[in-house]
Amino acid sequence: MKREINDWEPKIVAFLCNWCSYAGADLAGVSRIQYPSNVRIIRVPCSGRINPFFILASLQRGVDGVLVSGCHPGDCHYLTGNYSARRKFALLKNLLEYVGLEEGRVQFSWVSAAEGGRFAEVVARVTERVKALGPAKRLVKR
Amino acid sequence: MKAKIIRKQDIADLLDNLLRKYEVFAPVKRDDLVVCDRIGSGSEAFLDYTNSIKPPKEILFPQSETLFTYSSFDDAANIKVPLSKERPYLLFGIRPCDARSLTLLDKVFNEEKYKDVYYLNRRANMVVVAIGCVKPRATCFCTSVGGGPFSPEGSDLLLADIGDDYIVQVITDKGAKLLEEREAEDAGEDKLALMRKAIREAEASILPQITIDGLKEKLDRVFDDPIWGVLSEKCISCGVCTYLCPTCYCFDIVDEARDSGGERLRIWDSCQFPLFTLQASGVNPRPTNKERYRQRIMHKFSYCIDDYGQIGCVGCGRCVTECPVNLDIRQVLTTISNK
Amino acid sequence: MTDLSNQIRESARKLLQQREVELVIGFEQGTLPLRNTPCFIRGQEEAERLIWGSFCDNNLANYLVKRQEKVAIVAKGCDVRAIVELIKEKQVTREQVIIIGIPCQGMVDRRRIEAELEGKEILEVGEGDDKLILKGDGFTRVLNWNEYLYPSCEACTHRNPVIYDILIGDMVEEKATDRYADIAEFETKSPEERWQYISDEASKCIRCYACRNTCPLCYCQECFVDDTHPQWIGKTTNISDTIIFHIMRALHLAGRCVECGACERACPTGVDIRKLNRKLASDVKELFHYEAGISLDQVAPLATFRPDDPEGFMLNP
Repeated sequence: MKREINDWEPKIVAFLCNWCSYAGADLAGVSRIQYPSNVRIIRVPCSGRINPFFILASLQRGVDGVLVSGCHPGDCHYLTGNYSARRKFALLKNLLEYVGLEEGRVQFSWVSAAEGGRFAEVVARVTERVKALGPAKRLVKR
Repeated sequence: MKAKIIRKQDIADLLDNLLRKYEVFAPVKRDDLVVCDRIGSGSEAFLDYTNSIKPPKEILFPQSETLFTYSSFDDAANIKVPLSKERPYLLFGIRPCDARSLTLLDKVFNEEKYKDVYYLNRRANMVVVAIGCVKPRATCFCTSVGGGPFSPEGSDLLLADIGDDYIVQVITDKGAKLLEEREAEDAGEDKLALMRKAIREAEASILPQITIDGLKEKLDRVFDDPIWGVLSEKCISCGVCTYLCPTCYCFDIVDEARDSGGERLRIWDSCQFPLFTLQASGVNPRPTNKERYRQRIMHKFSYCIDDYGQIGCVGCGRCVTECPVNLDIRQVLTTISNK
Repeated sequence: MTDLSNQIRESARKLLQQREVELVIGFEQGTLPLRNTPCFIRGQEEAERLIWGSFCDNNLANYLVKRQEKVAIVAKGCDVRAIVELIKEKQVTREQVIIIGIPCQGMVDRRRIEAELEGKEILEVGEGDDKLILKGDGFTRVLNWNEYLYPSCEACTHRNPVIYDILIGDMVEEKATDRYADIAEFETKSPEERWQYISDEASKCIRCYACRNTCPLCYCQECFVDDTHPQWIGKTTNISDTIIFHIMRALHLAGRCVECGACERACPTGVDIRKLNRKLASDVKELFHYEAGISLDQVAPLATFRPDDPEGFMLNP
C-alpha cells in the first residue's frame, strides 16, 4: 500500500507535571474528551524538574514535537518550581528557534488539574502545528 | 628510478587521473582553515599551504570510527563489522613531518600481537606523496627530532617545489610504480640543481630548538622534580595539543545504544583530559594538570623510545601555535634539558 | 604599554614583599610574536616577568576557582566581570582576591592579523602609538592596531574594571555600542539560513573542549559531556551531538557568561561559539534585566524569579 505524505502522524512527547498538567490530562480522559493520540506522556514531579536535555534528547531521537506543561504560576505544588522553570523555558525556546529549529516544535503551557478541556485544546493545537511542520529533521541524530 | 618533473599546472589533471584508481586525500581550503580531506576532483587540492590544522592521522585513524554495529532480533546480536573493501588510498601533498608520523603510527597499530584491522584496511595499499617544505616556519622543529623539511621517511614519493614545477623524488617501489603508470618526464640536471638548492636553504633555515641528546636520560631522572608543577601550571587540560598532534594515538571505546541496537565506537581521547585516568573506584593517578602534562612529555620523549625506538614527536609545531595558553613544548624541553 | 607593565610589576613586587598575597597571576611575554601567556609569580624577584600588551587575551579568572590562598590577579574589564560572577557563586571570596584592574582598550586578534598577511609568517611585532609593526622574512607591515581587535572586544561595553583593589592606568570611555545589533540581524534571517550557519560552524568543531576549559565560568568537576548515567550526548563529532554540546554549554552559562571571548580565542578551528552565548546574554538582559558580572549585589537570573516574568512565549489557547 502506498503511503502518502499526509498519512504521516507526528510523534509528540509531553512532559507533564504530576500535580497539575498530568491530572488535567487524566481529567480529559475520564471526561471522554477527544484529543489527538499523537502525544506520549512522561510524568515529572514538577515543571521545574525539566532539564533542557530532556527536550534536546527527545529531538535527537527523532521526536517531531515536544510539549512541556506545568501548573499555573502561583499554583505550583512545590510553591516556586514553575517560576524557575518559566525563566529556563523562555531562554531555551528562544535559543532553539534562534539556531533554526522550526517554531512550534517545542511548546510550553500551563494546564491545571481542573482543566481537562484545556489540556485537550493544547494537545490539539500542538499536534496541528507539528503536523504542518512535517517530520523532524534538524537535531535528529543520524 | 630517476627523479621526475611535473609542472604545477598539470597537478590537477594528474590528480584527476589518479582519482580513477585511488581514493585521494589532499589539503583543501575550507574558509580560513586548511584540512586534509577526500577530494572529488584535482582542482580541489590546495598545495600552497603551511600545514593542515588536523594531521592526516585522521585519514587512517578517524576521530570516530564504528567498530561494529549490533541489533537484537531473532534472539541474536547481529553484529556487523563495517570493514569494506575500499579502493586504495592516496595521501597527496602532506608534509614530511606528517609522513614521518605514519612510521610511528604503523608501529602502534601494526604490532606483532595486535594488528588493528581498521587502520590496516586503509593503510595496506595506501600511497603517500609528500611535499617538502621550501619555507619552514619558525615554529617547525622537525630537524631537532630526527626529521627534516625534505625527510623521505614515511613517503613513497617526495615533491620539491622549484617554482613552476615540482621535482618528484622516488622513495619506495610503491612510489615508483605510481609514477611508471603516469609517464612523467625525467628531471634535467638544471632542475635537480634548483631542487638541491631549495633543500639546502630549507634545512639551513630551521634552527635547532630543542636538544634531544641526553633528554631522555634527563627526563627519566627528573620525574619527581617540582619543576613539572611550575611548567604545567597554566595548562587548562583541554585536548588541543593531543588532537592536533600527528603522533598522538590514544583512544576510548564507547557504546552508543539506540532502541534495541547500537554501535561500538572508537573515538579519540586525550591524556590531558582529567577523566583520562579516572578509575571506577574514584581514584585518579593523574589528578592535576601537573601529572597529566608530565605524562605527555614523558610519553613522547622517553616512553615512546622505549616502546617503539623512536621519539613520539615529529616537530610539526601545531601544539605550539594552537595551545590556548601558549604552553610551548620547546620551552618546556629546554627547561628540562637545562636542569 | 611599557608604563602599564612597569606599574603592574611595581604593584606585584609590593604585594609579594609585604606578604599580602602568596601568588600574583598575570601575563608574561609568550614564545611567539603575537602571544602573551599566563604566568604565576610567587617571589618578588620574578615580578620583572609581568607585562601588559595587546595580546593578553586569556581570561585569568580561569585560574582562581577553588584557590585556598590569597592571590593578586591582573584583570582587564572582562576578567573582572568573570571574577564578580565567581565571587557570587562562591568559587572564590572577595577577601581572597586582590584585583589589579586594568581598563582595557581591547586585545588584538592574531588570527585576523595572520589572515591579513595571507599566511606570511610574522617573526617580530612592535607596538607604537596606535600601530602594530609586523616584520617577517623580507617584509614590514604597519597596521592600525584597533582595526584588528577580537569581535568580543569590539562589542565590549564594560572595558573598565567594575571592581578593583589597585587600578593600573586610566579609565577609558565606555563605548555606547548596541552590542547585540548583530544578534538582532542574525534573527532576521530565515530558520533555514540560521540552521545552515550553525551547522556549518558546528562541523568545524573537533570537541577538544578548549572553549570549555578556558572559560572561567565552566568549572564543574564533572561536565555533562562526561556523564554516562545517563549519557546526555555522544562524544563523537556527530553534528547533532556537537550542536547540542554547544547549545547546552551556552544554556549552562546563561546569565553567567561575561562575553569575554576566551572561548573563541581558544578554539583551534575558529568556531563562532559566542553566537549562542550572546543570544542568551541578550535575552537575559531583555527579559530579566540582568547583565553578568556588573554587580556583586545582583542575584543571578536563574537563581531567582519574579511573579510577573514574561510568558508571552507560552502556548495559551
